[in-house]
Amino acid sequence: MADIAASRCPRCQSVVAPPATYCPWHPVAMTPTTVPGVGEIVSFTTLHSAPEGFRSPLHIAIVELEGGARFVCHGDETRGLRIGSSVAIEAIDDVYYFSHLGALERARLFWRRAGHAGDRVNAIARSLAKRVLNRGTRAS
Amino acid sequence: MPNVYIAGAGMTRVGRRSEPLQELMADAAHGALAEAGIEQPGMMVVAAMNPEEFLGDGNFASNVATYLGLADVPAIRVETATSSGAAAFYAAFAQVAAGLYDSVLVVGGEKMTHLATPKVSEIIGRSIDPYERSYGATMPALAGLITRALLARKLVTLREIAQVAVKNHSNAALNPYAHFQQPVTPEEVMESRMVAEPLRLLHCCPISDGAAALVLTAQRAAVRVAGVGQGTDTLAVRHRDSLTSFKANRVAARAAFEMAGFGPERIDFAELHDAFAPFELISLEDLGLVPPGKAGRVTLDGETARDGRLPINPSGGLKARGHPLAATGIAQLVECVWQLTGRVGARQVPGRVALAHSIGGLATNNWVTLLEAV
Repeated sequence: MADIAASRCPRCQSVVAPPATYCPWHPVAMTPTTVPGVGEIVSFTTLHSAPEGFRSPLHIAIVELEGGARFVCHGDETRGLRIGSSVAIEAIDDVYYFSHLGALERARLFWRRAGHAGDRVNAIARSLAKRVLNRGTRAS
Repeated sequence: MPNVYIAGAGMTRVGRRSEPLQELMADAAHGALAEAGIEQPGMMVVAAMNPEEFLGDGNFASNVATYLGLADVPAIRVETATSSGAAAFYAAFAQVAAGLYDSVLVVGGEKMTHLATPKVSEIIGRSIDPYERSYGATMPALAGLITRALLARKLVTLREIAQVAVKNHSNAALNPYAHFQQPVTPEEVMESRMVAEPLRLLHCCPISDGAAALVLTAQRAAVRVAGVGQGTDTLAVRHRDSLTSFKANRVAARAAFEMAGFGPERIDFAELHDAFAPFELISLEDLGLVPPGKAGRVTLDGETARDGRLPINPSGGLKARGHPLAATGIAQLVECVWQLTGRVGARQVPGRVALAHSIGGLATNNWVTLLEAV
């Protein structure tokens, strides 16, 4: 899982990735930040005649990152993938790819991140709350 | 604000055309001017999305004005990607409404079938956010992402989406100006070649050449401009909260209805921007023409067919009349004028109030225009 460069609007707190100089909604400079490369699939498609410079079939997804921004990236395959699937994002030669996380990988990631936070119990509670919240408010 | 009327309308047959774009635009413009009984308008607005890339021509307002024999008429060009025609109409409307000119010609056109399809897609795709484009996003790719989200939320079904194409092809079969004259079946649509999953070839509009023109005037004529509204959104699709509704649609509709002083219940028929079939369903709801969640059902029930309660795209829409980019927003209005004045023969639908809806880019710069028979 890669940390993804992003930026935050000091006015509306919106986060966009990759970083933008100005907030799309306010004429103010954004503050650099990073967001963890994990999130949920908002939608995905497979192009059967990809544009020049890309191989067909080309998998493209929009991912809602846990840090708040939505991100566009490639994927190696979409077998078993659904809207709402958990994915991790990795950079290979500066190009971002999502990979579908199975139950085992999700659990491993969960414990690793909980460990990093230092306080395992609180981290678990936070992550669970966030998951429930995301499920309730996801727009599309 | 003084009333603005439409005194003349003209357009070319849409499709694969061998004439230069300037010749197509002259056909449309001279037709509209002749109908208005005007030789020299006070000024003119030219709409073209990518003439530099498609044709290698620049300074396009002067280029077209001179070709048309209107070199002495003040001319400007307006561009908002695929809604350029509707935006140019707004610029012309504003000139007359402000009292700056008594008559204004608006003419839009595009020519691109002389280039290979991948090249045309790449040029049109330059209207997409550069980061998303760097990941291979094309217009069909973004429309595929939107269609998948619609299906996943069970807002529409594949059969309902297919019905949009079936209906619009059926309308175009009666339109001598349309790119496609042959009907299609739901099965043909649902089994056509996959383009951007789950979007198939027959869900998408064709690449077309063509031109359309209108003459706007402060003098009373058969059709009045009741309202014009613009709505915008971020260039990047990923910055939006929802993929299944377009904010630019909702804002444009609100502004147009506010100017008109009436609501969507007054609309008798509409021309909607169905560059991809599911966009007609999204827009039906965004513009308030049908209640949320009902667009697919009313389409399948025939309510939006020619003989239905609310005919949508009697011309055949972008899907089947064709989509010559900057001509499209004006061609939609030409169809509305011709319908309101009873001049379309077999595809005539009844009504006194019409709505035209144009999407610029991937719904970054949208327009709603309301016309009323006087």
